Amino acid sequence: MVSKRFVAKRLLLLGPVLFGVTTVVFAILHLSPGDPAVAIAGERASPEFVDQVRSDLGLNDPLWQQYVRFLRDTATLDFGQSYKIQRGTAVSQILADRLPITIELAILGQIAGLLFGLPLGILSAVKQDTLTDHFTRVGALAGVSIPIYWSGPLLILLFAQYFGVLPTSGRISSSYFVESHTGLILVDTLLEGNFAAFKSAARHLLMPVLVLGIYSMAFISRMMRSSMLEVIRQDYMRTARAKGQGAKITIMKHGLRNAFIPVITIIGIQFGSLLGGSVLTETVFEINGIGTLLVTAIEQTDYPVVQATVLVFAFMYTLVNLFVDFTYSILDPRIEQ
Amino acid sequence: MSTETQQPTDVDRSFVDRIRTSPFLNELLSNRIAVVGLTIIAAMFIIAIYARFTYDLGAIVDTKFGTNPSQEAPSSEFWFGTDGQARDIFPRVLYGAWFALKFGTATVLASTVLGIAAGTLAAYYGDLADNVIMRSMDVLLSFPSLLLALALVTIFPESLGLWRAVAALTLVYTPRFARVVRGAALKVLEDEYIDATRALGATDPRLLIRHVLPNCLAPITVQSTLNYGLAIIDIAALSFLGFGASPGDPSWGMMLSEGVERGLFSGAWWWSFFPGLFLALTVLGFNLLGDGMRDALDPRMRDTVD
Repeated sequence: MVSKRFVAKRLLLLGPVLFGVTTVVFAILHLSPGDPAVAIAGERASPEFVDQVRSDLGLNDPLWQQYVRFLRDTATLDFGQSYKIQRGTAVSQILADRLPITIELAILGQIAGLLFGLPLGILSAVKQDTLTDHFTRVGALAGVSIPIYWSGPLLILLFAQYFGVLPTSGRISSSYFVESHTGLILVDTLLEGNFAAFKSAARHLLMPVLVLGIYSMAFISRMMRSSMLEVIRQDYMRTARAKGQGAKITIMKHGLRNAFIPVITIIGIQFGSLLGGSVLTETVFEINGIGTLLVTAIEQTDYPVVQATVLVFAFMYTLVNLFVDFTYSILDPRIEQ
Repeated sequence: MSTETQQPTDVDRSFVDRIRTSPFLNELLSNRIAVVGLTIIAAMFIIAIYARFTYDLGAIVDTKFGTNPSQEAPSSEFWFGTDGQARDIFPRVLYGAWFALKFGTATVLASTVLGIAAGTLAAYYGDLADNVIMRSMDVLLSFPSLLLALALVTIFPESLGLWRAVAALTLVYTPRFARVVRGAALKVLEDEYIDATRALGATDPRLLIRHVLPNCLAPITVQSTLNYGLAIIDIAALSFLGFGASPGDPSWGMMLSEGVERGLFSGAWWWSFFPGLFLALTVLGFNLLGDGMRDALDPRMRDTVD
């Protein structure tokens, strides 16, 4: 079990980090050359009206007052209203609608990465310096080198355009209407008991998940390989073999668990690139998650949406890493000291 | 003439000698993966320089309606086909190497220098300086890198073009270098020769530049190489999303963006295929080299026991 002290310590550290993150976002938004008042009022608005909007937004207040207000609003998850994308809608509402879409994509991508990456990494380590190993290693390096915005379109070209077996974009065929319960489309279709819709959603998700999964797989298999190589050379592995245990069982029983521990921390760090990758994947496959939301918001200078989205991404990343730390300490209690 | 110069010691050996006998370099060159990576990178640098001095940038950016067919498939005349503006894609893809390496180098160089500064200062002065520097770095590291870059890009005026992406990514990568450098510098600072040098009266800057920095070079080089590939792929990603190169620029990211948006469904696959291929190859080159370097540096990874 995780000790209470460890949890408390990590949670205490979370405070300053979140505070720092919020401050950075505030600073970025205030350093941006665009004027939010003009963004709201429109380019053709009279100067008087722009001034009116500016004082309504509190942009004439001293910076520290704006900062305190921003911190307070963020703490209560009040991100204001969208200026442009969905004018007048609360940003928290937009995020609530779109966040599950990105989470679903990222989780499925991560699962796909683990499912293929772990066995490949183990195989590569066990068969070190054989053809299988070289092939897997170069394949893994190629996997992290191929940009998502190239492999995605290539897959679309091949499976949607050429063979015509998969849909090109979106999350589900427009002929299905699925009530949103969780926002996760695979879960929602199942909850509705609509298997045809589930199948359609799964077919839509296949390519985006594959593209994200390849990237994540490449990363995980590399880490698993080097971690496994280290573990294989440990004395306890030799002892297990010496007492007559078979090679396969030794690797599975003793090797796997010990090699997996360092890989877990990497998975947390790698989740950041997965989130970055989801922005690109969503753009390529026209999926309306918070990745495309951020890109559109920046293009249209919808400041409240930009700051809320960036904050949510950073919070998610931080929380995943916190969770990873806890998992790590359960698997390897020594880490707490 | 003092006698010391006539009897070369380890310290006095020339730079070339040191490189020639470096076990690291030997290890690296016997690593096939690293050599393949190095070859790809060398080829890309040659292509970049060739393109830079052969083609006129204005001529390959201008639309060519009337002279060339539009969205023409690859042929003996247009090796990589033509794009929607009837431009020959081949010279544009070659010129893309110059763009990628120029802006990639700038990004890596800037973040390496900033990272070295922050990392050595944190390690050397410790206490408050260490805490202030490293905690700020931690905050920057709490953002997913591409997303922080996207947010930071908005600070810089659009007129900066690709330099916007360079500036944003420099800020994003600096913390990684700072961490690596700090770790390496802390280890070096424990060594006795540092105390000896200090006892001889060396000033802080001299100690840091002459003694600490050279001994941290190995991890810095690996980090730079791995980050090179990342920088190139991220700069292209920002261009792809519309926050880097201007429309028409022969940057791989911009060509991909235009090719995917307008060429993919009209059947002009070559429009995005070739820029993407070169981009992936270049990044692969840096990743292969970086991976090989890491192996060469990490003795545990060298030979297997048993």
